[in-house]
Amino acid sequence: MTMQTLLLLTSALFCMGIYGLVTRRNAIALLLSAELMINAVTINLVAFARLAGGVTGQVFAVFTIALTVAEVVVGLAIVILLFRWRREIAIDSANELRH
Amino acid sequence: MTESSIFFAVAAAILVSAAKVVSSRDLVHAVLWLGVVLVLTAGMFLLLSAPFLAGIQLLLYTGGVITLMLFGVMLTRRHREIGVEVDSSRRLPGALGALALFGAMACAIFRTELPAWPASEPIPAVEIGRAFLTDHLIAFEALSVLLLAAMIGAIVLGRQRDFGDEPETVYRRSGRP
Amino acid sequence: MTPIEYALIALFVPLAAAFIIAVVAPLRYAGMPAALLSVAAALVSLGASLALLVQQIAQPDRVIHEVVRWLPNGPAALAQVGVHLDGTSVSMSVVVTLVAACVQIFSLGYMADEPPAARGRYFGYHSFFIFTMLLLVIAPNMLQLFAGWELVGLTSYLLIGFYFQKPSAAKASVKAIWVTKFADIGLLLGLICLFAVTGGFEWTATLSKGWATAITLLMFLAVVGKSAQFPLHIWLPNAMEGPTPVSALLHAATMVAAGVYLVVRADPLFAQAPTTQLVMAWIGGFTALFAAVIATVQTDIKRVLAYSTCSQLGYMVCALGAGASMAGYFHLTTHAFFKALLFLAAGSMIHAVHSNEMSAMGGLGRRMKATSTVFIVGALALAGIPGFAGFFSKDLILEAVHEAGMFVPWLMLIAAAFLTAFYMGRAVFLSIFGPFSPTSEGAHESGFSMTGPLWLLAAGAVGIGYFGSDFAALAGGTYHFHLGMSGILGTTCALIGLLLSWLIYGSHRLSPQAFRFVAPIAWLARSGLVDRFFEFAYRRGALVLADAVGFFDRYVIDGVMNWIGWSTITSGRWLRRIQTGNVRDYVYAVVAGAVVIVFWGLSR
Repeated sequence: MTMQTLLLLTSALFCMGIYGLVTRRNAIALLLSAELMINAVTINLVAFARLAGGVTGQVFAVFTIALTVAEVVVGLAIVILLFRWRREIAIDSANELRH
Repeated sequence: MTESSIFFAVAAAILVSAAKVVSSRDLVHAVLWLGVVLVLTAGMFLLLSAPFLAGIQLLLYTGGVITLMLFGVMLTRRHREIGVEVDSSRRLPGALGALALFGAMACAIFRTELPAWPASEPIPAVEIGRAFLTDHLIAFEALSVLLLAAMIGAIVLGRQRDFGDEPETVYRRSGRP
Repeated sequence: MTPIEYALIALFVPLAAAFIIAVVAPLRYAGMPAALLSVAAALVSLGASLALLVQQIAQPDRVIHEVVRWLPNGPAALAQVGVHLDGTSVSMSVVVTLVAACVQIFSLGYMADEPPAARGRYFGYHSFFIFTMLLLVIAPNMLQLFAGWELVGLTSYLLIGFYFQKPSAAKASVKAIWVTKFADIGLLLGLICLFAVTGGFEWTATLSKGWATAITLLMFLAVVGKSAQFPLHIWLPNAMEGPTPVSALLHAATMVAAGVYLVVRADPLFAQAPTTQLVMAWIGGFTALFAAVIATVQTDIKRVLAYSTCSQLGYMVCALGAGASMAGYFHLTTHAFFKALLFLAAGSMIHAVHSNEMSAMGGLGRRMKATSTVFIVGALALAGIPGFAGFFSKDLILEAVHEAGMFVPWLMLIAAAFLTAFYMGRAVFLSIFGPFSPTSEGAHESGFSMTGPLWLLAAGAVGIGYFGSDFAALAGGTYHFHLGMSGILGTTCALIGLLLSWLIYGSHRLSPQAFRFVAPIAWLARSGLVDRFFEFAYRRGALVLADAVGFFDRYVIDGVMNWIGWSTITSGRWLRRIQTGNVRDYVYAVVAGAVVIVFWGLSR
């Protein structure tokens, strides 16, 4: 286990998240993909924290995880609202950002 | 079993599970695969000598997020069946884009001189807790406020009970908790 | 009280009166109370000025220069305001307040037929004028003088347009402000140059020859405008649209003399610029002659006096050009008295016959004895008949111009002296003697509020000339009366002119037909050639320039602006297409950006 292989792993994980983000049409599936990406980032953070030593890196990893939870909560609430509004959560039809 | 072989096994399992998350046709399966990824990530944290984080990961993610996600899936079903079909579209451009990014990052990783791991002991939870309540107290408090705000926001957004078809009414009412 | 307190009283009591009249509407609408307040303020101001004059006569060399910082700029001030009391400014403020007080008292009777509200407004303007004129007179530097200069221009505009419901008066006020403001650009530029060169607005500055010439020429442009010199004299005859007392105060005695006063004040600057002085002498001499020619063919008594004012101001400017600022200033003072007297007397006659035309006034001498007497006194003083004030000052000017070796201007002044006597004699014989006209038959003498000031001014028009040496002491010069060659020649010409006018208009021994050979000159003078020239210059010059500028603005500047707007809209329309609102496309964009950043970072 070297730093390099770890980084390659997290990059691959991140790019899978990207792939999911651009191919999936279901809003919840998009959230799942985003989770993958954040997970990759968190692993990176922990790895660099170990490289740097000390406690701060891990503290911030905890912050990241908590933030992610908050993001999931709000994201899901939005998805549910979207569903109530449109009766579906296919993201292609949701182009309200344009208006 | 050496640490290295454990790492490669976990890494391979993470990648396979992640692939299933983004390709599974059943949304419930995808959520469950994500749970696998998260649990394996906790194992990765253990390997990186961060046991406290591993515990957090299991508790928050695997316990909380996956449950939330399943609720979300069920709340947004249109039909009564258990499985939810998820289709993907435009896979080729998506794959090419993701590969391009991966290539770029891999290039960067290979061309960077990375140091070897320093020898380090797992950090005990007590120290992390102390750091939270001393050096990073303000960030900690801000985080708690953020979580409170997220909670209130989620309640406000989700409180709407009638499933009206009028976007305007939803907009209007959602503004007033 | 200190002299400065006196000066401030003289300055601010009229301003307070003007302010009260302007703000307290019932007072203004009542008319008479406002008038009395204004007159009282003018008398207070006159009293303070006289007190200053008494002190000044006791110590002729006293100079009080008291300033406070204005526009503070670090430790030094960018400019200063204050009072500068020396013989010149003190005597000038007495002249201003004395004539103003006389004119205001005269106006009590003259304006009695006006509606009360209009009277209140009129006297408010008058009080304000005293303030502005004194602000100019006691200015310690050119900047404050400029402020007063512009403010008297404003008051002049307001008073010319006093009968603003009359189109000709409204036009005349606009014309006056147009012409004088155009000229004032010169003063402004001159002051800017002065500040740029010396860092201050002092008239005592020492300048290089080139700068001195440039700055004084620019200032002289403003003098030409304000003091109605050729070719910017065109506004003064139209300014007669204002009430006659206004013409007496502003457009004869004080305000138009501000230009002369400016040159007297800035004498140290002008003395450094012989070129400017030469220009001044020529323009002054030419204006004196030119305006006198026009005055001989006018039928409106106020216009005769207006052109006469131009002409006399030409005398003063010519004297200043000859370097004899004391002579010019002396003539300013005597002229203030006798010209105010003439205007007020003419006003009294106009008031009696309700017409400006001299043909409507014939024989007034038998109906209005007091007015006629003082008018004749004023006319003799203006004509320069020995014994009257105008004789002394005009003699001084002729001598000075002759001594300065300016032969042609001197000759023009002599000719103007002849014409002055001629046109004044003509005015006297036409309006005071001669047969009655239907309107003058039933005329009667004006009340005491009108004749009283006339007698006072008449005393000045006779007596002031004998105080030449005291005056010179105040103005920092010397004066010894001696009748030189110029004086004799000028006086002879004046007497001939008077005789000629008697022969033509008094005894009718000579028919005006005998002088048909001067008709073309008269026609040229009367046809308003200068006005037409300016009209032409405006149409062909200013309007064409405006069109060119307008074209540039419309098609070049607006074009660039429109192009910028158009290109923004168009590019926005194109860029809008990448804002699909589709999350997926944004992710692609982020990925592309990330790839680009990574490779850019690697390739560095």
